[in-house]
Amino acid sequence: MNDDELITVVREQRAKVPMDTPVEQIISRGRVVRARRRIPRLVAALAVVAGAALTVTTLAPADHQPGAWAVARRADGTISVTIRELADAAGLQRALRADGVPTSLTFPGAQNPACGQPQSMQGSPAWAVARQPDGTISVAISEMSDAAGLQRALRADGVPVSVTFSGQPGLSCPAQPAHGQPRDH
Amino acid sequence: MKTQRLDFAEFYRATKDECLFTVLVSVGDQDAAQDLVAEAFARAWASWRTVSRHPAPVAWVVRTALNANISRWRRRRREVPVPDPGTVADRPARDGEVGRSVDPWIMAALMRLPLRQRQVVALRLFLDLDTGRTATVLGIAPGTVQAHLGRAIAALREDLLPTRQQENPT
Repeated sequence: MNDDELITVVREQRAKVPMDTPVEQIISRGRVVRARRRIPRLVAALAVVAGAALTVTTLAPADHQPGAWAVARRADGTISVTIRELADAAGLQRALRADGVPTSLTFPGAQNPACGQPQSMQGSPAWAVARQPDGTISVAISEMSDAAGLQRALRADGVPVSVTFSGQPGLSCPAQPAHGQPRDH
Repeated sequence: MKTQRLDFAEFYRATKDECLFTVLVSVGDQDAAQDLVAEAFARAWASWRTVSRHPAPVAWVVRTALNANISRWRRRRREVPVPDPGTVADRPARDGEVGRSVDPWIMAALMRLPLRQRQVVALRLFLDLDTGRTATVLGIAPGTVQAHLGRAIAALREDLLPTRQQENPT
């Protein structure tokens, strides 16, 4: 017996152990397998939809005005804030807090024509900064001017930000400038 | 859907025995092999649109069955016992299948091969896969497939020929 004959004899064995499970039983089991696969896929699809909805809700709140401001974290760890318009203070506050800057931000000039500013806050007529007892930094911006002064005031309070005002000056508040004395930063 | 079912049924009828024997040679237990192959075919049915387009659907089934055997072994956290080959050979043939029981000498010789050689023999000789496809299924190089097959045939020749020549002294 040579190798070919040996292989032939060995091959013949494969037909001698029959698989006797009926095809109907295989298909019945296959239906169960398929149904089980669909459950995680459905859950995954729902999770994707829910995640997308959450992302849209988080990143684009109803009062967000695109382009009013921009926040970016630089390689050196500082936060770059560019304000083009005094709008959507709540959105900017959320973005800053998401980057680890515990601010409480208001645009009094945009929200209140009287441009009121808390007495406890200190700054220029255009803006004011105050550290609250809970550690947050209250920032009120009434006019887009003196960005360098605001940046110095924030850094003095331990907030590593770079502030830029660009575009139109936006709302100003000539009638009622901020109270208090400017800090010596 | 009906066409899908007919295609699968035809595929099952044409390949089930060789799939079973291929897996049996790898796992060494006929009941376990039957369960594994049945489960693999069920998964093939559940993914028939994909499996039917596979270059070698029968290799997909065998690979699935062998993977399921590995998963089963991991769940049990112990070695799957390899039974006496005689338990396969001694099973009675079904009615009308006189002379169709497996040769105990050949089965015993196959089970004495190292696992990888058994798998190569099963895929190359029982499933008629080419060297490249066998290498893909087992995740080894084509040259390794050829080396294992050569060693396996040499071992089978050494194991079986003296016995068979004694049986048939011509």
